Parts: sequence; structure tokens; C-alpha cells
Amino acid sequence: MSGAAPAGGNTVKERADLALNNDFLRKAVRFTTERLRTGKEKAAEDHGNWDEWRERGRQIRLHTIAHLDYYLNLFANNARANGVHVHFAETAAEAVRISLDIAKHVEARSVVKSKSMVTEELHLNTALESIGVEAIETDLGEYIIQLAGETPSHIIIPAIHKNRYQIAELLSVDAGETLAPDTQILAGFVRRKLREKFLEADIGMTGCNFAIAETGSMVLFENEGNARMVTTVPKTQITLMGMERIIPSFADLEVMATLLPRSATGQKLTVYMSGISGPRRSADADGPEEMHIIIVDNGRSLQLGDPEFQELLNCIRCGACLNACPVYRHIGGHAYGGTYSGPIGAVLTPALKKNVAEWDDIANASSLCGACYEACPVKIPLHEMLVYLRRRKLEAGRGDKLEALGMKGFAKVMRSSKRFKAVLKLGQLGQKLVVRDGGISLKVGPLKGWNTYRVAPSLAGQSFREKWPTMEQEIRNGLKEMDPALKSRMEAIVRDRENGGGGKGGHGHHG
Amino acid sequence: MAKSEQHQAWLDGLDAQSRAKQGGFIDGISAKLRRSRPVEPPAHPFRGAPDFWNAFEWPLEERITRFMDNFKAVGGHPVRLADMEAVKSFIAGKASEMSAKYIIRQNQPELNELGLEAALPDAKISVWNSDPNEHWKARAAEADFGVVVADYAAAYTGSITVLSSKDKGRSVSLLPTVLMAIIPAERLHTRLGQVLVNFDRIGRENLPAGIHFISGPSRSADIENDLTIGVHGPGVVYAIIVG
Repeated sequence: MSGAAPAGGNTVKERADLALNNDFLRKAVRFTTERLRTGKEKAAEDHGNWDEWRERGRQIRLHTIAHLDYYLNLFANNARANGVHVHFAETAAEAVRISLDIAKHVEARSVVKSKSMVTEELHLNTALESIGVEAIETDLGEYIIQLAGETPSHIIIPAIHKNRYQIAELLSVDAGETLAPDTQILAGFVRRKLREKFLEADIGMTGCNFAIAETGSMVLFENEGNARMVTTVPKTQITLMGMERIIPSFADLEVMATLLPRSATGQKLTVYMSGISGPRRSADADGPEEMHIIIVDNGRSLQLGDPEFQELLNCIRCGACLNACPVYRHIGGHAYGGTYSGPIGAVLTPALKKNVAEWDDIANASSLCGACYEACPVKIPLHEMLVYLRRRKLEAGRGDKLEALGMKGFAKVMRSSKRFKAVLKLGQLGQKLVVRDGGISLKVGPLKGWNTYRVAPSLAGQSFREKWPTMEQEIRNGLKEMDPALKSRMEAIVRDRENGGGGKGGHGHHG
Repeated sequence: MAKSEQHQAWLDGLDAQSRAKQGGFIDGISAKLRRSRPVEPPAHPFRGAPDFWNAFEWPLEERITRFMDNFKAVGGHPVRLADMEAVKSFIAGKASEMSAKYIIRQNQPELNELGLEAALPDAKISVWNSDPNEHWKARAAEADFGVVVADYAAAYTGSITVLSSKDKGRSVSLLPTVLMAIIPAERLHTRLGQVLVNFDRIGRENLPAGIHFISGPSRSADIENDLTIGVHGPGVVYAIIVG
């Protein structure tokens, strides 16, 4: 059942309400994201020159995507020369059809899978089950949520929303005996159970972290060893890869291997990093005899040539933006309603589906604070993309009428200081009707959404602009009394700021 | 043979379809990028790690210390021994301490000369792929110890690199309960890039099917962030540096 739409609620707001009411989920998400976020920050600091590495990572991804036609073609030719059967799928349906065709021809009864977001995107497990093939997730967290019939709520820790008692209950049903809610016992059961599954499975199915164009190799990062199992034991291997997973060379892999594990979990390297270049050689005694790589578009190419969204294809799926996002930390992954959650999901889901209309409300599940950009190891400006998405939604006439009016009205008011003054005065008078204890908690009109969870501050009796002449006066007087050397130094700083670097606003990532 | 001929015919059909589709698929990307497909390799000025990083190197003693610190930090067991004679006694000692009955090892010259068989007369020691009729994956799955000699190692990340071949099974470093990885000191580099560059250098035609970097015991934090060791791969990993 994995791949089914999350239960409860059609909009992010409804699903988030469910999440907000679930106290355990909120605590677990906060705890885990906090641990991953601080782990990442420490790993980046220990490694040093983090911004230079991010910039290098960004340049490699930008270069590869800008020449994706060249590199993808090269990869396909080299993988084929390695003995891989390469397939191209424009749509999810096509990728599913090819996968099922292979499963039928090798007469598969079971498929063991290592973590793959692309197969989540395709709802491939459900499709395999529909032709009577058992699909078994083998990553510990993925196995747990598959038993629960749910979808991953975090890209790195998929079962983040389950506690050990819930997990013990699920695994006890699976085991046919009561298992104690002890991590070692539970993990030990899964190890034994899945050992059998690995050894009897006909197909091993994987995702792909990176594909190396110059050698036709596919690369997997993991900690448990299940991806190695899946690519070592079964006779047939099927790898599903997003068409943008390419990097040119093994030399470039060093940069990705430096950025990805540190950003995902704060590790210097995941326990296993494997480069697979084709099926087993004829004299080898293990590894798959037959290997397929299915290259999937499924909406990715829609981003190519789009100046606002092409950089989305640079994403290396580390999850750092989820851990940094105050909204994700509050509502958890299922509230986003798509395969990908958090800031990347908020942009990627509508981008891949090209139906901004249906998914538009997830762009609002963000406070546009820019923490996602700061966390991103390849510097994708996600917070700006969220604004583009909101703008496109308004342009398509599908926006919140008040927001549209608000954006127009805001522009009109801000264009004239006289009008701004007048509006402010009106507000200062008008709010007298609704202010209680220095705040406004009235839940009507434009304040409804905001005030459901907090109290809007009342407008100050004297606005900043009204205060400014006095403040400016005070500062100037202060300067007069200042030590002349200090004053000239400060003036020099102000001059410098005006000459260079000014007006870049915040992050300066366009530079 | 009828079935396998049929299967081959189906695979050939798939490959013909794939080749036919490739041109259009790639041209579609070129069209989106609003230019024709480049025939020459594009200039890639940012290939690999930054220059300051490529100049970075620790002396041998520091490489060994750093490797051991990193390996220990992730729950692995690093040891440093003087020579292969000491390695033999160490592995034999651990085998009797943990009552290891089944041992599988790679068919590598260093291990053929090691003489583990004589040192452990009571254990059943199998040599990977030494008999074509044996079910080697099952032999590896039942083994208490897997013994390998690393092809490379990198100190900065505490990683061991093993390459597959007919004599070096991927299963030997994966399926046994305990992994014993022997690292000759001269194969220990500072950076990951010093290992990776070899694969670009030898080129596609000479790559093994499997290249595996191993940086500690198998682990998971999927249940309530509680660290579990030995989920699918070996839970006990010895990195034995020699020299």
C-alpha cells in the first residue's frame, strides 16, 4: 500500500491540523530534525571551507544540468557497454510498464528494494503487487512504514513519526509473537527476517544517488548494507534513476561524497558507498547476472530551460532543507501530501506535476525565511522559488483573492508615502475596536489564518516613520558627541557599504 | 536452452527499443535547453575537489592515527600490527575468543600465504570461488568471519575500499557477522579523492563490477533515533593496519 495518498485532508492546512494535534509526532520530528541539523552544522564546521565546497558542488551540478543531453547520452552508452540494459521512460506509467515487463519475464515472485524516492514517485510497489509480485522494502525504517501501510515522512528517516511501542506492535504481528519494544530486539528480528527475503528474492531494486557519465557507473550511499544486499544477492537488478542524477566523473563524486552525507546526517561518509559498473563479470561468483537501469523523466525535463526552476534539478536529495525548515519541523512530512516533503517538496511536487493549481497550497507551507537556502549543500534558492510559485499561482488566477488583492494593494500603498501614512492612520484608529491586552486575537477577514495560532500585535501608537525624525535627531546628536576618529571610521564603513556589495539583499547567491 | 534463447531474444528486443528511443529522448533535452546537442565534451572547469583540497596530504603516521580515530568513532575496531605473522595470530586469537566456526576469505595472494588454515585447524575455512560447484553466497551468509585484504583506504573519512573480481566476492565483506579487513599501510591515503582518481584513470573498460567503500559497521537510527549496529551488514568490523 505504500504510495497511496496520505490519509486525512485534501489541503496542506487540513493535513497539518492533523499533524499539529499529534503531540508525539511533533516532538519526534523536532527532536530528530534538531539532531540532524546540529549534526550537519558540526560536520560542516569540522570539515572547514564549507562555502567553498558548496560552491564547488553547485558548479558541478550547474555544469552537468546545462549539458545534460551530452552527459546523459554518454552515460547511457557507457552503461550499455558495461552490459547494462538501459531504458528510457518519459512518464511514470512508462517506467512502471518497463519494470513490470522485466518482472514478468524473469518470472519474479519477490522483489527486495533498497530506498528509492523515484519508486515512491511511481507507486511501483502497488503496481508490482497488482501482478502478484511481492515488493519488500529492506531499509529498516522503510520496512516499518511498509508494514504500517504508510509513506515516508522524512527523506532520510522515513519512520520518524513512529515510536518504539508502535513499531514493536507492527513487528509483533509480522513475527507472529510478541516482541519487546527494545531497539536491539526489533532490529534483530528485521535482520533475520530480511536475510531470508534477500536470499530468496528474484529481483533487487534500487534507486540511484549518482550516475557517472564517463564510466556508466551508478553510485549508492547507505548505512545499513541493504542496498549492497540488493545489488549483490538477487539474479536480476533493476535500478530506477531520475534523469538528472548524472555527474561527469569519479573525481566529481568526491565533491558529492563530501557534501551529501555531511548534509544528510552529519557523517563524514555513509557506512557504505558503492559504485556498480554493470552486471557481474562472467567469472565472478556474485552480483546480478542481469542488470537494468530505467532512466526516468516524469516531469523533470519541464524544469530544463526554465530560468526560475532549472536549478531544482541540482538537488542531491540530502534532506538538509527539511531539517532547517521551521514549518517542516512543526507539521512533519505527511502534511505536504506528495512524495517529497519540506521546502524541496513544496517546490518539486508542483514542478514535476506541472499542475500548480492542484498542489499550489503547499507553496504556502513556508515562511520564506531562507533557512532552506542556507542549509542546501548545492545552494538551490528554494525560498525564491517558493515566491515564484506563489506568483505563478496568482497569475493563473488561482490565488487566494485576499492575497491577490493584498499584493496589488500593498504595491499601491507602498508606491506613495502619503497613501501609506493615511492607511496607517486609519489602522491606528480602526484597531481601537479590536485590540485587547495590546494584541489582536480576532479571527476574521485577513487575520483569520494568522490569529488561529497566535495574536497579531496591535499597530504601534506612533509608527516607526512617525518616530523616525526624532530618532534621527537623537542619532545625529549622538554622532556630534562622538570621538572624531571613531566617527570618521564609521562614516568610512557606511561609504564602503554604499559603494560595493550594497543592494544584494541577504545572501548574495546570484553573484 | 529454449527458454534462455527466448529470454535473450526478449532482451535484444528491449535493447533495440532503447537505442531507437535514446535519440529522441536526448534531443528532447537539447530542445528544452534551446540548442543542438554538443558533440565535443563540454569544458568542465570545476571538475573534482577544489585545488586547496587536492594539495592536502598527511604524513603516513598521521594517516594511520587519523584513520584509527575515525574508524573507532563510528563503532569500528581499528588495530595496528607490525607484519602478516602478527595478523595471523590476531585473527586466530579473535576466532577462538568468539568461537568462530565458519570463516570465508578472499582468494588473494596475501591470504593464501597467511596460513590461517594451519593456525585454526578446528574452523571450516572456505576460499571464495575456489570450487565452481559451490553455492558461494550461502557459504558467505553462514560465515562467522569474512577476511579480506583492502585495495585502498582513506584516512580522512576512515574508509576501506574493496573491489570485486572472480577471486574477491562482494559477499565476503557483506554477509558474515564479523568483517576482518587487512590494510597494508602503503595503501592508506589521506583523501577519498586519491582513491577515486584511480577509477577515472583506468577507465570504464577496466573497472570491476563492484567498488565498495566501507566506513565502519552496518548501522541504523531508524527506530526512535536509537543507534543500532549490524542491521544488514557486519556489526563487528576490524580494520587491521599492517606496517
